Amino acid sequence: MALIYMNMTLAFTVSLLGLLMYRSHLMSSLLCLEGMMLSLFVTMAITILNSHLILASMIPIIMLVFAACEAALGLSLLVMVSNTYGVDHVQNLNLLQC
Amino acid sequence: MNPFALIIIMLTVVLGTLIVMTSSHWLMVWIGFEMNMLAIIPILMKKYNPRSMEACTKYFLTQATASMLLMLAITINLVHSGQWSTMKPLDPTASIVMTLAMAMKLGLAPFHFWVPEVAQGIQLSSGLILLTWQKLAPMSILYQISPTINPTLILTLSILSVAVGGWGGLNQTQLRKIMAYSSIAHMGWMTAAMMFSPMMALLNLTVYIVLTTTTLVMFMMNSTTTTLSLSHTWNKTPLLTTAILATLLSLGGLPPLSGFLPKWMIIQELTKNDNIILPTFMVIMALLNLFFYMRLTYSTSLTTFPSTNNMKLKWQLNPIKTTTYLPPLIILSTLILPLSPMLILLE
Repeated sequence: MALIYMNMTLAFTVSLLGLLMYRSHLMSSLLCLEGMMLSLFVTMAITILNSHLILASMIPIIMLVFAACEAALGLSLLVMVSNTYGVDHVQNLNLLQC
Repeated sequence: MNPFALIIIMLTVVLGTLIVMTSSHWLMVWIGFEMNMLAIIPILMKKYNPRSMEACTKYFLTQATASMLLMLAITINLVHSGQWSTMKPLDPTASIVMTLAMAMKLGLAPFHFWVPEVAQGIQLSSGLILLTWQKLAPMSILYQISPTINPTLILTLSILSVAVGGWGGLNQTQLRKIMAYSSIAHMGWMTAAMMFSPMMALLNLTVYIVLTTTTLVMFMMNSTTTTLSLSHTWNKTPLLTTAILATLLSLGGLPPLSGFLPKWMIIQELTKNDNIILPTFMVIMALLNLFFYMRLTYSTSLTTFPSTNNMKLKWQLNPIKTTTYLPPLIILSTLILPLSPMLILLE
């Protein structure tokens, strides 16, 4: 297996851990979401170019488009949280606990 | 919300789920999930207050993570097999990652922490869509990959979900959280059935959707979200207390009501495959579910709970609330057990 796959899997895992184990800012989770998307983009692009799947060349770009929409939605939610509490600390999201 | 915007958003939610259910290319499956998630966020935010904002944020984070895990599974499948078709068997690693992604989307334990909180922070009508329609797309993907699912993983998810769904709902008085834990437990039953007979998992999903719709429409009719306000139903619409009793007992899985049918079929499928400990454990955990439904029916239907009203019945004014198809739903959620011989058509 080429080294690049291990590299990108490691990048995805590090981003996933960063998404799950943030300290206080919601923004860092959103950034890690984008990091995951980036590692998947590189893996997919390299695989498609390597296997000469010419028609699949647009798939990484489509993935990028949808991930960008998702990031925009996440940012709008971040803005709403920030409007209410002033900061985007996730400790503030504690209204709905039992 | 502006009715035109609401229609477009609802259609996008429906379209996203249909794209997931009917596509043969893995990228379209991912796109369907993304469309579904993007469109359901405004539905969850129907009423703008800090609780619904928090519910939306939590829902978005978990569903976005699950979407990325799904994309990872698709990429692993692409690297190992070089094709994008959903009809072909999945690579084992991709299958594990995809099962984990679908578990996060459904709210199976140990990824269940968002379900009670999100269900609590949103309106009852949004909660209805969250607990019923949003389960269709992940379950259809699990159905499609069921030949290659790792049995150990799905068994672990199922056992944990049934246990968490039973024990988690015991200390709740908020009805939306109770329905959320009920959803977790039912998803646990469905994934247990997925191992041996995916058709029974779909039967369980159908009956669960009918039951949850009935229960939530009845709650919407009274606009109740707590056990206390549900217990005043005898004062408002006494006839509804009987329906609440029947539907909640059906949700708990008691014969001769409809909710018994999927449980019976799943236990039959599991014992046909020489699996005895698992159904015993699941049935015992379902007793915990039944306990908190019985507690609701005790205060609602079986006793006239003290209320602050001095009259025997409140003023019966013209009803403004539209209870969508409540009578047929009540019939469907209590009386379809005699139709069980028709399941022979599935063979």
